[in-house]
Amino acid sequence: MSAIRTENLCKTYRSGWKREETFAVRMLNLEVKEGEIFGFLGPNGAGKTSTIHLLLNLIRPTSGMAYLFDRPVPETAVHRRLGYLPESVNLHTYYRGRELLNFYAALCGVPVETRSSRVSELLQRLQLEEAAEKSVAKYSKGMAQRIGFAQAMIHDPDLLILDEPTASLDPVGRKEFRDILLELKRRGKTVFISSHILSEVETICDRVAILQNGELKRMGTLQELSADKSTRLVVGSLPAPVLEALAATRAEVTMTQAKIVIRCPDETLRQTVEELLHQHHVGILQRETETQSLEEIFFSSITPPPKL
Amino acid sequence: MKTIFLIATDSIRALLYQRLLLGLMVASLALTIVFSILMSSARKNITAAYSSEATHSATATTAATNGMSATEQKRFRASMEQASSFLQAEFYAMASGGGEVVSLFIFSLAVTSEIRRGTIRLTLSKPVSRLQFLLGKYLGGVVVMAGYAMLTCLAIFIFAQSQGLELNPAVKWAPWLMFCDELILGSVAMLLSLFVHPLVASVLALFGGNGLCSLHNPLYYLLPSYQDFSVFSQVLQGSLLSWKDVLFLSLYALDFVIIMLLLALWRFRAKELI
Repeated sequence: MSAIRTENLCKTYRSGWKREETFAVRMLNLEVKEGEIFGFLGPNGAGKTSTIHLLLNLIRPTSGMAYLFDRPVPETAVHRRLGYLPESVNLHTYYRGRELLNFYAALCGVPVETRSSRVSELLQRLQLEEAAEKSVAKYSKGMAQRIGFAQAMIHDPDLLILDEPTASLDPVGRKEFRDILLELKRRGKTVFISSHILSEVETICDRVAILQNGELKRMGTLQELSADKSTRLVVGSLPAPVLEALAATRAEVTMTQAKIVIRCPDETLRQTVEELLHQHHVGILQRETETQSLEEIFFSSITPPPKL
Repeated sequence: MKTIFLIATDSIRALLYQRLLLGLMVASLALTIVFSILMSSARKNITAAYSSEATHSATATTAATNGMSATEQKRFRASMEQASSFLQAEFYAMASGGGEVVSLFIFSLAVTSEIRRGTIRLTLSKPVSRLQFLLGKYLGGVVVMAGYAMLTCLAIFIFAQSQGLELNPAVKWAPWLMFCDELILGSVAMLLSLFVHPLVASVLALFGGNGLCSLHNPLYYLLPSYQDFSVFSQVLQGSLLSWKDVLFLSLYALDFVIIMLLLALWRFRAKELI
């Protein structure tokens, strides 16, 4: 079962007297499997937040369908399995921290017996214990983000949809946040995360999708998306005939005191080099597949904006 | 149902947290009381002047009789009763005007302020349907308006006691009718606020009654009727409200509110909440 699935999802807005159409999302086909951390990337105005709003049924698709756990998104019951943290966390400022979490816990149907302990656990986990009895109106941006994250997790949902979750957090907060997400993944939860911080997404996400102008440009694991499929073979020594043979190929040989690294730019060459090494009884100490960084993948996937 | 109550409780808390609304309610009640006290003292002055004039005239013309004649006394008592009823009705007319403003404030902003602030996104990301949200918001407003009606009720009682007024039978129904009127107005404002700016919605709701239409105009039967709930005009006309009249008006209010809420739900379901 997929946690999120969209089928030819489209969203257009009409504005102005001429009711001109603006495409927010075009024919989006996404599939997020259960238990994975999925990164949703794209430049500003790519349609990430619109997609999230469609998934939450806050806006209606112009065409196409969206499903959460194979149920159409307008079904409210499926929201029992969903936690959401918006980009800008707007909270009910007339609550204290603990009261706010109690309110959302009650809305999510968390039983009264376990509600208090669950709230305390989350306040402790997100280091909000001291601010628990403070009015939410007095919270800093970072604290609001933390309590927003706590409300998203209050009912221990199977799917978390996070829109720019670390935007207001300091480096320590980001690290804690990453740890929590990895812990959730270990527990089999699905996380759908929209972020601009590529290094962060690269560290935690199993798969990513890159969106631009409402269109899905790429989707897959980092390895799948990487155009550079070169392999690094590490050996201890190389006999002269092998060195000569390698010189005739596109393989790059780098020698250091301790090891020799042979870089094969493509899969065919890697096979040829490995056969050659095998023929000369050279043992391969290490085999590494090089991939592009997410940043490289991102910039190679999107059309650069016109220069000002 | 539990979800609706949770939303309603949250809504009440949000409303009571708004200093502007509380200030509006207190100011409305205070102005009503002050105005009524001024009216009452004016009435006393007129009574005193009328009484001394009548006594003087009686002394001059009929020295044998002591004070006013029986007819004069009867007329005097009737006019005093009328003045008393007028005062109470005027009190409620003032309170009702204040209540209408409070009602418009509450209901026109109930949903739209949540959309504007973005707090609705978190609420609707929970297992809360739009129907539950809308009903919860309306219910929260109803509870606050009921509280306001009770305060007004208490104020008229204290006012009548302090001024030595007898409660007019028609005026006894006034808090309930005022409450019904405010709920109709609120439901119209809530519906309109889902289409236009809350301020425009409030103005349209307030002046969009059927008072300006003739009986032959189809709009008369579509637009809400606020004037039927005005105790002031009924007291002035000298008509006394029976429980049947009140029941009919209550059913009318209930019907109208249900229709308005259904229309609001139809609009709210399709509304983009961004």
